[in-house]
Amino acid sequence: MRRLLVKFYKKGEAALLSHRETMRAMERALRRSGLPLAYTAGYHPHPKVSYSPALPLGVAAEAEYLEVAVEGDVDPKEAREMMNTALPSGLGVVSIEILPPSMPRLSRWTRYGLYRVEAGDAVLHLCLRLSGEGGGRLRDALERLEKETGLNLKGSYITRTGIFASREEVLEEAPRPVYFYRGSDGRLEKAGQEEDPVGE
Amino acid sequence: MEKVATETEDAVRSFLAEELGEVSRPGRYLGIEVNAYRKPFTPGGLNCVLVYPDVYEIGMSHLGLAVLYEEINEREDAMADRAYLPWVDMQERMLKRKIPLFGLESRVPLSRFDLVGITLQHELTYTNVVRILSLSGISPFASQRDDELPLVVGGGPGAFNPEPLAEIFDFLVLGEGEEVVHEILEAVSEWKKARKRDRRGFLRSCASIAGVYVPSLYEVDYHPDGKVAEIRAREGAPFPVLKRVVKDLDVHTRPRRPVVPLVESVHDRCSLEIFRGCTRGCRFCQAGMIYRPLRERGEEVLRRWGVEMIDATGSDELSLSSLSSADYTRILSLAESLSGELGRRCVAVSLPSLRTDTFSVELATRLGKVRKTGLTFAPEAASPRLQAAINKGVSDQDLLEAVSAAYCGGWRKMKIYFMVGLPGEEEEDVEAICHLVRRIMREGDGGRPPKGLRLSVSVSTFVPKPHTPFQWARQLSLPDTARRHFILKEGLRMRGVTWKWHTREMSYLEGVLARGDRRLTPAVVAAAEEGCLDNWSEFFSWERWRKALEKAGLDPAWYVERERDSEEIFPWDHLSAGLDKSFLWEEYSKALRGETTPDCRFGECVSCGVCPHTGTETRLAKEVG
Repeated sequence: MRRLLVKFYKKGEAALLSHRETMRAMERALRRSGLPLAYTAGYHPHPKVSYSPALPLGVAAEAEYLEVAVEGDVDPKEAREMMNTALPSGLGVVSIEILPPSMPRLSRWTRYGLYRVEAGDAVLHLCLRLSGEGGGRLRDALERLEKETGLNLKGSYITRTGIFASREEVLEEAPRPVYFYRGSDGRLEKAGQEEDPVGE
Repeated sequence: MEKVATETEDAVRSFLAEELGEVSRPGRYLGIEVNAYRKPFTPGGLNCVLVYPDVYEIGMSHLGLAVLYEEINEREDAMADRAYLPWVDMQERMLKRKIPLFGLESRVPLSRFDLVGITLQHELTYTNVVRILSLSGISPFASQRDDELPLVVGGGPGAFNPEPLAEIFDFLVLGEGEEVVHEILEAVSEWKKARKRDRRGFLRSCASIAGVYVPSLYEVDYHPDGKVAEIRAREGAPFPVLKRVVKDLDVHTRPRRPVVPLVESVHDRCSLEIFRGCTRGCRFCQAGMIYRPLRERGEEVLRRWGVEMIDATGSDELSLSSLSSADYTRILSLAESLSGELGRRCVAVSLPSLRTDTFSVELATRLGKVRKTGLTFAPEAASPRLQAAINKGVSDQDLLEAVSAAYCGGWRKMKIYFMVGLPGEEEEDVEAICHLVRRIMREGDGGRPPKGLRLSVSVSTFVPKPHTPFQWARQLSLPDTARRHFILKEGLRMRGVTWKWHTREMSYLEGVLARGDRRLTPAVVAAAEEGCLDNWSEFFSWERWRKALEKAGLDPAWYVERERDSEEIFPWDHLSAGLDKSFLWEEYSKALRGETTPDCRFGECVSCGVCPHTGTETRLAKEVG
């Protein structure tokens, strides 16, 4: 059995699909992709798929992930094309890669979400932990960000641009400045152009 | 005109951008599904919108509209969009922002389409139909629409007595739509090209298309006691209007690429229709009467088509659908070959309707699906006398054997349907339901108590339907229904048994509308305007309905609780499902005498009239090879 990492986006009105509806659409596309899917045992077998943490309704995404188990040979390019013809408009597969066995499970590394918040002319970058200690809700983080910046973020267009394993990884990839939100105490920290001032 | 149109569409777009994030399940309003055609709305083309008058999740499971959607969209000169009744939170936002109901895919308001086709699947959606029109800014009364507004067209089983909505529809189609839809589109196309649009003239010519019923071309007179005295066709309209039947279903194999719902729908699976019609002859069943004759599709066609549908949708379940799927001549070999081929891909094959016998149970067990949801049996009646009267051919023994077989097959959840209020029913027949359920709980494991069985007993109130042998019968009054429910409530108190019943007032209203006449239209419109959306129990109000009926000067009991005599002219006597009224009357008399009628598939013709009237015949799937 091998694992594939499928990276996909969710844009436009498809951002209004719930996590559950997105999973349904992805599963159907996987079934139509020609991939040799591995199924669970039992009366209701279904493909072995896991997803990166749920996106709030209305938030678009550039790099969501799902991990799926397959048995047999795989042509990632062909599978990507097949999946893309079988998805509702607004959902699309960016890439499919075969994971080396040493790669940890999806849930082990999808820890930090990076968000782009577009409100009028302003573009802000916000990062929060998706689960575990220090994890927080996007809604709370936005409220805090509103207070901090004095900008009105109601009706802003929000996109999750990436999911990362660590704060360091975020800092490597994220445009500056980027705000880090800590769910445990509601603190918001700004990492500017220079060196990261606040370590964890 | 065009400028105004674009402005409305821009308004719809910005409304959606601003409000969709705030409503429940916005996925219902997006129209970006896989396999949606999304053909452009073009002023020069034929623009149709198919409407299911209930929420998206229910409408998306409906096969009939899926068939028409493909039939129309496969034409070069036409497009078909879809619309459903938005949930109330969305309706409120639309009204507040003055956004009319729009086609899901094109986002063009319904009022700009050439044809608005609405399916009538159930009487309790009639107020929803009115709401659909009012949200669209289309007058509910056909006579008040000018030549620009769309033609409002009805279909589905409700078209066999659409009289309570007679003033609403420009025309309706009786019977199966896949052939007549093209004849109608040709006629609309001609009309659109004509320089002077005369709606009445168009409707007159439309009435000459077989199966098309134009209510405004018929006049109804009433006796002083309220009964129909005469129904007259005017201006050359046909009398009666005879339903359409497709002779060979193997040449009509749509939908091939059904639209995949974005939001989980009530029946979340692919439906493969294996046959149409049913000749079992259950006397209460309208579908079994109006969809005759029996026409099975070829096994080979179905096998290929079933796989194609799964390929096109990625669905994990293929349902072999029909009125009684285990009756399909080649069901074993079809189910096994499909489940063999699709099983490799972990796609389940299922049967939606199960006969109450061991054959069906063994088949379902072999297919292995629905273990979670359980098995459903519908004996409908529990005493030998009523079992004979309904002509379903299911005895206590059949039910016990079926339950035992299911229990042995590992099923621990079962559901059983019964009806109260069948013609000739006494209170002891209701007590018989309790006795039969008790027997199941005592002997359901081949004579022993079925340990761990959870039985759900569902009781509906019998509603006499037009074009059935029971169309003459009286329906239970509200107090009589309550008395029966009380007997059941006391008698079904058993470990492992739960029971559910239909809301009495809902069945009562269904009874008013099912056998209603034209005088009801103002009441339907008034009830809808008062906020009744009957199919949504939160918005069902018998109180408001009673007032609406009173205001229209109508007595619901007269429609519901009155047994009709053999001579009575029914409000639907000008509409024909191909059945002879004398056949139906004979069946009613036999029911009251406790006599049964065999299935014509296995023996002699029962002379129902359908084959000679419609020029069709029973078709059975032949053995292949």
